[in-house]
Amino acid sequence: MSNRSSLDSLTCVLCPVGCELEVRRTERGLDVQGHQCEKGIGFATEEVLYPKRNLATSVPVKGSETRLVSVRLSDRVPREKIFPILREIAKLRPEPPVRRGQVLIADVLGTGVDVIATRTVD
Amino acid sequence: MEDMETRDVVVIGGGPAGLAAALGAKRAGADNVLIIERERRLGGILNQCIHDGFGLFLYNETITGPEYAERLVEDVDKEGIRAETGAMVLDLTSDLVLRVNSRSGYRLIRAKSVILAMGCRERTREMIEIPGTRPAGIFTAGAAQNLVNLQNIRIGNETVILGSGDIGLIMARRLTFEGIAVKGVFEIMPWTSGLERNVRQCLMDFWIPLELSTTIVEIKGRDRVESVVVAAVDRGLKPIAGSEREVPCDTLLLSVGLIPENELSKRAGVELSPLTGGAVVDETLMTSVPGIFSCGNVLQIHDVADFASHEGFRAGESAGRFARGEFPAGTKARLWPGPNIRYVLPQLIRPGTADVDLNFRVTRPLRACRVTVRGKSSDKVYFRKKYGRLLPSGLQKIRIRPPLDEDLEIDCHE
Repeated sequence: MSNRSSLDSLTCVLCPVGCELEVRRTERGLDVQGHQCEKGIGFATEEVLYPKRNLATSVPVKGSETRLVSVRLSDRVPREKIFPILREIAKLRPEPPVRRGQVLIADVLGTGVDVIATRTVD
Repeated sequence: MEDMETRDVVVIGGGPAGLAAALGAKRAGADNVLIIERERRLGGILNQCIHDGFGLFLYNETITGPEYAERLVEDVDKEGIRAETGAMVLDLTSDLVLRVNSRSGYRLIRAKSVILAMGCRERTREMIEIPGTRPAGIFTAGAAQNLVNLQNIRIGNETVILGSGDIGLIMARRLTFEGIAVKGVFEIMPWTSGLERNVRQCLMDFWIPLELSTTIVEIKGRDRVESVVVAAVDRGLKPIAGSEREVPCDTLLLSVGLIPENELSKRAGVELSPLTGGAVVDETLMTSVPGIFSCGNVLQIHDVADFASHEGFRAGESAGRFARGEFPAGTKARLWPGPNIRYVLPQLIRPGTADVDLNFRVTRPLRACRVTVRGKSSDKVYFRKKYGRLLPSGLQKIRIRPPLDEDLEIDCHE
């Protein structure tokens, strides 16, 4: 009974191509069109049901206001977690030396995802 | 001149293109490669691009700019390539002599080949001539990115962004994360100049309004920006009288285009293209001056750092071979942009070359279109491909397989 389907137009954000995806909710599940690679199907499903994003920011190292460590998440989190996580990150004052990839907050807010440093500060 | 410092390959600029170029030159057999970087740290613009989305093509995973830079620098270190930071090339001659101001003082270097990898800079308020007062609070998007991401400076409280370039879109999200309100992004064209995915994840995710066919006609404020006046534009991009509206803000970011930084190239007599703002190159990425190669944003504005690096590797390999004296001579066929094509690169190709990689951009968004590369004299079709959608924001790459021996034209039709 696909005449009761609804349509979503999405832009895939997984790579610079930015495929225009059309997602149709049918009674049998989601039908995805417009993807140029297999990742598009997973992205569209996720985007319709529970959109996820990564985030990046930077924090000063301990004892300085101008020496910054940039950070990101080890994996994407549900979009609504972005601002709560940013508030947790804002409290960070990592002590140098900081290594690229170093975990600064493990399992942030119980998401199962870590906050990691994206640069080295000696 | 006898005891002048000599190098096989000198790379000017240590960003994503220059670092890759040095690796490419080394791997092509050049022993004595030198990178000269103006900043104190290698990596170029990558260092301030703390967002993710880099490395998908080079490292097969999505990482941030600083991570991408550190990994490239580690590769350069492993190869034993020398890099001088805090050093600036003041002049470059057509016989490949560089005048360099470095930490060890002023000196001359003679190179067997030179790679231009100086990147680009941003267009400013003056270049787009926005009327109004001259208060504080007006930044190019990249300058704001540097202040926020590298210097921990709060640039304002309420921002308006003019132009929809990728850096502006990225900064809209970044400022939102910092608790700075972004009141809107205004773009004079009827389409965005940044990537679609950045419109999605940097604007739509945060309900930041994007108004197309709209521009700023006046900046107000005495000491600090107090507001901007925006207006809709007609098809000739002229503001429509009566459509003006004042938007209060204390900060204005400009993301209105990038310009390849070719001052040194001009000094060396390198021919530049008015279409790209970068050098005219052949399929080896050599410029009109023998032994000078070009790659990255100084050659053409890229949307993705990985592609700038890819171009760097290619230019590096060519420069490395040139330094070893292995280089083909010969006349060159020319490639011309046809209908709906803004530019095509390289502009020149040695006859007989097969498997040539071309980059092109379209002039406007096109749907259900076909790109064709045709011989100018024979009308032979060298390449043909259908696309669902092509956008001016997307730099396209195609490969022409048959050997070429005539001038070509590339066009795109819906």
